[in-house]
Formats: sequence, C-alpha cells, structure tokens
Amino acid sequence: MIGAVKSFITSSQLANIAQNTTQSVAAETTLKSIGRPGFILIDKDIDSDTKQYAAAKEFLYQATCLAVYMALIVPVFKKGGFQVAKKYIFKNTEGFEHFKDVKEYMYYRKLADNPSVNNRMKTLEKERLTDKTKIRDKYNTTLQQELEKKDPDKFAYVKGAVELSNIIGSVLGLAILAPQVSHAFIHPALKLLGLEKKKDKTEQTDKIDTKA
Amino acid sequence: MAVADLIKKTCKSLGENNKPTYVVMAIAAVKGICRPAFTMMDKTENPETKKYTALREGLTEVIAIPAYWGCGELAGKLAKKAFNSDKALANRAEKNLMFIGVCTAALFVIPALCSVAIKPIMHKIGLKAPEGHKNEEPKNLQMPAESNQTAMLKTPASFNKIIYPKMSTFTSRPQIGLRVGGL
Repeated sequence: MIGAVKSFITSSQLANIAQNTTQSVAAETTLKSIGRPGFILIDKDIDSDTKQYAAAKEFLYQATCLAVYMALIVPVFKKGGFQVAKKYIFKNTEGFEHFKDVKEYMYYRKLADNPSVNNRMKTLEKERLTDKTKIRDKYNTTLQQELEKKDPDKFAYVKGAVELSNIIGSVLGLAILAPQVSHAFIHPALKLLGLEKKKDKTEQTDKIDTKA
Repeated sequence: MAVADLIKKTCKSLGENNKPTYVVMAIAAVKGICRPAFTMMDKTENPETKKYTALREGLTEVIAIPAYWGCGELAGKLAKKAFNSDKALANRAEKNLMFIGVCTAALFVIPALCSVAIKPIMHKIGLKAPEGHKNEEPKNLQMPAESNQTAMLKTPASFNKIIYPKMSTFTSRPQIGLRVGGL
C-alpha cells in the first residue's frame, strides 16, 4: 500500500500532467465535475428534488467549462501562442529556430525527459507509421546532438512560451467565456432533463399589466 | 522593449518550473474581477440583489486565491520533507503533491471555507440575502434564528408587487398650474 502511494506520488506521468497547464486544468475540471455533484448528492440535509437539481446544474456547468476549454482554448492558444512567440517575441532564437510547430517541440521534450540515453537513441531509430521515415530525420543535427547528451537542453523558453499562452487561454476561457456559454446552455438542458419546471402561473399573473 | 523582456523572463521561469498553483490563482483572480463586474452590469436584476451576489462572488474568489496557494505550497513542502534523501525524486514528488494539493483545495477546502466564512463576513458588512436568494435555500432547512412572530409579520412577496393606483389618477381637474389647498 505504502509502495503504491509512493510510486503514485513520484510518478513521472503525474509530474508531466502537473507541469502542463492544459492537462492540469482539464484534470482539475474533470474532478470538479464528478466530485462536486457527488458531494451534493451525498448531503442528507437537502431534499431529493433540490439535490438532483443542484447536482445536475453543477455537473452541466463544469462539463460546459471543460468542453469549451478543450474545444476552443487548447488548440487556439497552444498553437497560436507558439507561433506568436516564435515570430514576434523571440524572433526565431532561444531554441524556437529548431522547431516548426508546438507538436514537434512537445515530442522532442518528451524524448529529452527520458533519463536513459539508450532509450532515446532507440526511439530515434524507430520508423514513423505515417511516412516510413526515421524519427531521427525529423530533428536537425543540433537537436540530435542534444538528445545524445545525458542532460539535453529542454529549451525552457519554448516550453515557457507555450505555458504562458496556455495560462492566458485558460484564464480567458474559464473565467470569461465558459460562464457565458454555460449560462446560455444550462437552463435549456435542465428543462430538457425535466429538472427545471416552467414558471408558476402565480408568477405569471404578477407580471400582468395592472394599469390596463 | 521592457514588455518583451518581461515576457521573456516569465517564459523562462514558466519553462523551468510551471507550478500548478499559477494557473488556478490566475483564473481565480480574473474571476474575482470579472464575475462581480458582469453581475453589476446586469440591468434586469434589482440593485440590492446585484450588490449581494457580486460581493459574494468576489469574496469566494478572494478566499480561493490564498487557499490554492496555501494548499499547493503546503503539499510541496511536505513532499520535500518526505523525500529529502533523493533530490530528483523530491523534485518530482513536490510537483505532484502540489497538483494534488490544488485539486484538494478546489474540491474540499474552498467550498468548506466559503460555507464557513462568507455568511459572517456578509453580516458584518451589513448585507443580507435578498428574498430571491432565500428561496434558493434547501426547502426543509430549519431557521432557528427566525421566531414565529417575525415570520408571521412578514408579508408575502406577491403582496409587495401589487401596484396601487395613485389618488391623482382620479382627479378630473388639470394637474398643471398653481393650485391652492386640497388635491
């Protein structure tokens, strides 16, 4: 048991998620979308109708946030941020010159994170499924030499630019855009699920023009 | 130029260590400004409700920022102490536990802190939940602070909404010019 906890805490995969803005935000939002409605449903002080309504509303809000985030913010800001930093801020320096796009950098970073040089070399010799070329051919000589070193350069500026762009995207998406989208989507969805009743007739009579 | 340098410095620092607390604190900070602002801009809601809701939303985020930071840093320090023998392992454990700390804050700590702290703070400021908000509370919740007498004195919400005609409506004489005495 202790061994399992220790290996979970020191897991390199979890560390990658923790260091990646989009993955950590997505994981956190997923946890919220399961956990918060779950806690509402467990609460014994609330009657079942209110519980169902509140849990469904919370779940729909978090799910909308996640959907908006994954569909719009991640692709736009991840790719866009890299290109803006490459062209305008760093002007093809500090490691940006070695990579065409963010996908290429992320793959290099994954390889560089591997502590075993032998494993890295084996991966470089593998063939790609799409065009049957070796992975090594994707990288220029500088990158290949770096990957042969024990501690290769991970190009912190490139990673930082991607993360900064992701943070800006996350803030815009989750603090401004997602609440607006969910506001428009939640009430029709709740009505469709039969959890939100139409307004009472008594409320409607209140709005009748008394001046007439 | 200074802005570009600042961006470069930020990029370098984020590239070397992107703590999970940064993004959640940034989101909470922007939410703390934007959500109350959006609420106050809503023209359909009455001013008292708007004030109450905006302050409540702002307070939630004010509580969330130190909670995220505290939970993340505390978990990180715990990892450093637990794995002080191996530096590489301690570094990885610090990042992971920080992330777990942030998730714990979002799931348990912030909702708990908000439910404990917000009501007393709102009372101190002198803001009480408007009628609409009171209706949102659980139906079977007992309110011991409210005596039967005060509950009976309260008028129903619909009663307040009835518009009574003004006396001036029934006067036949012109409502302009100098008038002396009476209506």
